[in-house]
Amino acid sequence: MADLIEGVNPTRMELLKLKTKVKLAKKGHRLLKEKRDALIMEFFNVLEEAKGARRQAEARLREAFAALILAQASLGVLKVTECAYAAKETPGIESYTRSIMGVRVPVLELQEASRSVIERGYGLADTSSQLDEAAARFEEALAAVVQLAEVERSIKLLAKEIESTKRRVNALENVLIPRLEATVKYIKMRLDEMERENFFKLKRIKAMIEART
Amino acid sequence: MEDRTFRLLAKQIRSLNRHLAIEKRSLRELLREEKPAIRLRDGELHRFKREELEKLAKLLPEHMHARLRLPIYIELSSDRFGKGTARISGRAACVAVAKILEKSCEGEELFIYKPEIRILRRELPTTTQYMFTTAAD
Repeated sequence: MADLIEGVNPTRMELLKLKTKVKLAKKGHRLLKEKRDALIMEFFNVLEEAKGARRQAEARLREAFAALILAQASLGVLKVTECAYAAKETPGIESYTRSIMGVRVPVLELQEASRSVIERGYGLADTSSQLDEAAARFEEALAAVVQLAEVERSIKLLAKEIESTKRRVNALENVLIPRLEATVKYIKMRLDEMERENFFKLKRIKAMIEART
Repeated sequence: MEDRTFRLLAKQIRSLNRHLAIEKRSLRELLREEKPAIRLRDGELHRFKREELEKLAKLLPEHMHARLRLPIYIELSSDRFGKGTARISGRAACVAVAKILEKSCEGEELFIYKPEIRILRRELPTTTQYMFTTAAD
């Protein structure tokens, strides 16, 4: 049997107040359960995306490093390093947030994800197509890594919110609502008892008055 | 202590829908902007992805672009619609969602189910939002 709420007087007013509280607690429980279920659905959506994003990022990085090795073999390590320094700055990342049921998750957008050979900044005369290929592969890998960062961060934030919501649902389901219902039951029982006592008292008084008369 | 618990619970229930927009905006209006966004009730800014807006624009006929108000709300209410069922309201929103889910749609509301909600959220993660309601609302 659940504990009773302490310090509650067994009166009709208290019973009414408690009934309102039970209604509120059950409403809260229902809504939080729905939120929890929706969050879990979102979590699995993002998780699927993350698996794909991780595989994609790993594949792109493998291709990029393979292309880099070919470029280094063709031009030499020093020349490739020189071209890397000469290349214009990495494209910027614009970050903002979106809301998933109140959870702020990041959205990362790579500006100018892929650039043309001229835009990259290194000289064309003394470089080879292998270098262009390596640069292009790294640009693709960067886009994949940015996408991966977005989804993995989203997963962590959603998991935290799911945990918090689950705790609240469990607290309502296993502690607060049973306690409230037990207290309502106790008050009803006490009120019935008091009514029976009163009824019996009245009967006795009536009997005494009748006996006197 | 109990009163504090109930105040917190009431606050939790009130804050369930604080991620919704203060005011929805039409697809046409949002397509004109470089960084389409809306202000939410909790004060935060929610950006829409351009690709999603363009996808919606392709799905709907031109005359519906002004009628489609975003974000599309996926209304969840287990005591009214049953567990795992959601409602989409608004003709333009229903047409867009029906096309994504390859369903038919008549009228101003469409009921969708858990697997369909998942598909919809996967296709339109920034232009749809969950909304929690009860029979008393």
